[in-house]
Amino acid sequence: MREKFFKSGEHWVWFNAGAIAISLVMVIGLVLMIAAKGLSHFWPAQVGTYQLVLENGEVKTALGEHYDEVTPKGGDEFADKQILLKVGNRDIYGLDFRWIRNNELKSVEYIKDITVIERREWGNFYGTLISINVDGVTYQVNDEAFNQMLEAMLERGVEIHREIKTLEKDDIGSINYELEKLRLEKRKLQLYKEDSPENLAEITAQENQLKNDFEVLQEKLFSLYKQLNRDSLQAKAIEGQLREIQASQIVMIYQPNAMNFFNKIGHYFTKIGEFIFDDPREANTEGGVFPAIFGTVMMVLLMSIMVTPFGVVAAVYLHEYAKQGFVTRLIRIAVNNLAGVPSIVYGVFGLGFFVYFLGGNIDDLFYPEAKPAPTFGTSGLLWASITLALLTLPVVIVSTEEGLSRIPKSIREGSLALGATKIETLWRTVLPMASPAMMTGLILAIARAAGEVAPLMLVGVVKLAPTLPLDFNAPFIHLERKFMHLGFHIYDVGFQSPNVEAARPLVYATALLLVLVIILLNISAIKIRNHLREKYKSLEH
Amino acid sequence: MNNAKSVKLAKLDEKEDYRDGINLDALANEKIALEVEDLSLYYGDKQALFDINLKIPEKKVTAFIGPSGCGKSTLLRCFNRMNDLVDIAKVSGAIKLHGNNIYAPGVNVADLRRNVGMVFQKPNPFPKSIYENVAYGLRLQGINKRSVLDEVVEWALKGAALWDEVKDRLDDNALGMSGGQQQRLVIARSIAVQPEVLLLDEPASALDPISTLKIEELIHDLKDQYTIVIVTHNMQQAARVSDYTAFMYMGNCVEFDKTDTIFTNPKKKKTEDYITGRYG
Amino acid sequence: MDKSLFNQHISRQFNQDLENIRQRVLAMGGLVEEQIERSLEALEKLDPDLSSVVIEKDQYVNGFEVAIDEECTKILAKRQPAAGDLRLVVAIIKTITDLERVGDEAEKIARMAQHIAASMEGARPSKSQFGAVVHLGNHVKVMINEALDAFARMDVDAALKVAQKEAKADEEYNAITRQLITYMMEDPRSISSSLDVMWSARALERIGDHARNICEYVIYLVEGKDVRHISLEKMQELAKS
Repeated sequence: MREKFFKSGEHWVWFNAGAIAISLVMVIGLVLMIAAKGLSHFWPAQVGTYQLVLENGEVKTALGEHYDEVTPKGGDEFADKQILLKVGNRDIYGLDFRWIRNNELKSVEYIKDITVIERREWGNFYGTLISINVDGVTYQVNDEAFNQMLEAMLERGVEIHREIKTLEKDDIGSINYELEKLRLEKRKLQLYKEDSPENLAEITAQENQLKNDFEVLQEKLFSLYKQLNRDSLQAKAIEGQLREIQASQIVMIYQPNAMNFFNKIGHYFTKIGEFIFDDPREANTEGGVFPAIFGTVMMVLLMSIMVTPFGVVAAVYLHEYAKQGFVTRLIRIAVNNLAGVPSIVYGVFGLGFFVYFLGGNIDDLFYPEAKPAPTFGTSGLLWASITLALLTLPVVIVSTEEGLSRIPKSIREGSLALGATKIETLWRTVLPMASPAMMTGLILAIARAAGEVAPLMLVGVVKLAPTLPLDFNAPFIHLERKFMHLGFHIYDVGFQSPNVEAARPLVYATALLLVLVIILLNISAIKIRNHLREKYKSLEH
Repeated sequence: MNNAKSVKLAKLDEKEDYRDGINLDALANEKIALEVEDLSLYYGDKQALFDINLKIPEKKVTAFIGPSGCGKSTLLRCFNRMNDLVDIAKVSGAIKLHGNNIYAPGVNVADLRRNVGMVFQKPNPFPKSIYENVAYGLRLQGINKRSVLDEVVEWALKGAALWDEVKDRLDDNALGMSGGQQQRLVIARSIAVQPEVLLLDEPASALDPISTLKIEELIHDLKDQYTIVIVTHNMQQAARVSDYTAFMYMGNCVEFDKTDTIFTNPKKKKTEDYITGRYG
Repeated sequence: MDKSLFNQHISRQFNQDLENIRQRVLAMGGLVEEQIERSLEALEKLDPDLSSVVIEKDQYVNGFEVAIDEECTKILAKRQPAAGDLRLVVAIIKTITDLERVGDEAEKIARMAQHIAASMEGARPSKSQFGAVVHLGNHVKVMINEALDAFARMDVDAALKVAQKEAKADEEYNAITRQLITYMMEDPRSISSSLDVMWSARALERIGDHARNICEYVIYLVEGKDVRHISLEKMQELAKS
């Protein structure tokens, strides 16, 4: 019976099935774990009022979200348990979190009018509302008009804030950009001794024009700020400290204990939307990760654009033109080994060669006016993409070569026999048929590049980039700019943040997002490949 | 040097002189399209063809028969220099197409191949539409005008007896056709560039009997316009379609004569043994 | 050409098929020879019983022809023989037609023998007349025998020799004809019996022709050359070249 089982080879089948099952469970488990930890962060938690009796008999009250609890190893489930509360109010306590002991805990209440105020600075405020000042009039919390006025105030705040942002980022940003350009132009003229008074006058005229515009905008901005600071809100923390919060500081106000299920769902999706589409705040621990998503996708796309032609040309040369011999074999071995070089080494190479050498020379040649400030001579999107292109080049070369060698000889001969030259045959027949293999290479390249962080830290990624590498100022794509990246964002938020506890769920959420972005990029590449495969399905040989 | 030596050795091994089997007198009344003169071919140190001397008549079907590895396909591939693709292949001697040596330096191989079309053992349509397959050779020549292409595609498909079967699905992928149709498509593709000579390398060996017959019928129709050289394993096929037959054995052309003669009364015992299916 | 060649096909079944029809042709030839011999004996001895045997056995000859024909058709359909094999099959198809005719001629002679035996004593041809006919008979019998031998051994020389002998058969036949005409002029009563003898001689002369035909097929089979309808000298020349 047993012998028969082994003889039939059944055990190998089970072995394989087991391996596949374990892999599947691991992948699904990983995604589920990240998803659970990351996505739960956006759910509005109940804010409890914790009555504590300290050992010396003192009675204290704490207000916060139940964030985590720990029982030390071997400790008593009740006595030694410690609870981590997110109490917020960093401006009062200095810290967002507070440990309390379970045995000191007397009772927990979830009072309905406990309010959470998300602020642009200092984190959340937990407490109760007292009054608001709108346009010089004070409304107490019990006033009939209070809720209405509060809502109006918040709306107005958000509206003005958006206006300010547009003004700062787009209008003033582009004026600054233009001014910088003019400054560089002036500098250039001086460098090349062309600074005739006429030229300079022209530039100065433009500058003045821009400066005028700038001043107008500036004024507008000031008035907006003034308006924004017109209103304010008074709130009380649980221990009775009063705080006045400017309307301009408020992102969102909500009362989690008073919310029903549907309110919570609404709140949940608002938060997710904020996470995906907003800029980060407070050292990346709050707000969204949009620039990081954008940077990641952009970098991967640029990398793809660069690595595909290079890899394909290299593979075509190796496979079609190079004389097959010792040297080509050596090159192939080298290419294969390149894939195994640790990525940080590429980062070092990119920094040394691309950034300092190439970038430095480009600056010398084309941007002498900006010196000593580097343009391309510092890490940036272009160099990051090229470094990653170099990193993923072997994958593309290998799979393209594979694809080329899989094209039946008869197809090439058929083309040659019709009077096509070698290059015509390649271009019209062989390369289209090998395109699915190229796409496979690209898919692998994307998979590797999108998840790569270490070399990027050296060649272009920053913690916080002030501007996106794509905007409305000509030439629209700014390859020299530094950018944000989801992978680095995870590292930064998780380990470099001043507020590690608060950032932890964000780490998971960002990781989930990174996985989703990579999956999305891959799926699009796979779709393209499958389409090509269908189109150029090779002959059954 | 090395090559010359191996020629001598080979000749010593092969004591038979095959020249008397080549009956070129049979071609007395034919125009000659291709002349093979002292053609030898080496794959590295290994000689694959030994001093072949042959003439291929114009607008007739000449068949090469012989056992596997006898060099008949190799010889066929010499006619459009397909052996150039093999790095280690070296050719000596000459093949003259209307008196011009195709192995002379400076010959444009692409032009030669346009003039000497080739159809391979397995149907090898490109993974494109039927229309684009036929138009491929023309597009290579820079002809992209739709009206011209339409005309030639129709003409070529009609010439390959395929038009009626595919005229309603010219934009379908050629790989969706049956094997026999694919092979006729490949023939249409070849004649679309109007070559003088058509080389057929076992064109029906991968096809079913009915498709084979259709191909044979097509060859019969095509010989009015093209010089056809066909390599085949199927002796009956050679007997059916060809006017002249060359029997090749171990890189030598053992016998060349009218097909009728070869199949009823061959001169050489090797030929007789082969075509009657005896031990070599 | 070596007859052992027919044993060298890669397909052993093909070998067997070819060998099989060859053997049957030889068997048929043997039967035909026997028929000639018996008919000659019947003619000599005017033995009606022996004649009946010959007449009866002719259907076996016919049977042979039909059977071998069918075998050849099968080989053509299944094997598509070429070159030597093709010529063998073609030669056999023709040879058996000739052999069957020879069988018919033998039957004819036997009938004549019966007829003569049944006629009145006085109207019978004389012994001397028979003598010449029997001599001719023996000659063509040898011819048939040798032709079949040449076929069996694929021997062109032997075949040529047999073909040469045909001239002698013609001569003898002419001599018999002249002699019979003389008899008939001398004695009109003998016309009837003389005609019977004449028919027999004519049949024997035809057998000689068939023997020559078979030889021509042998030459075609071995040399692949068609030597029909040409003079003996030309035939020799072609066969030797």
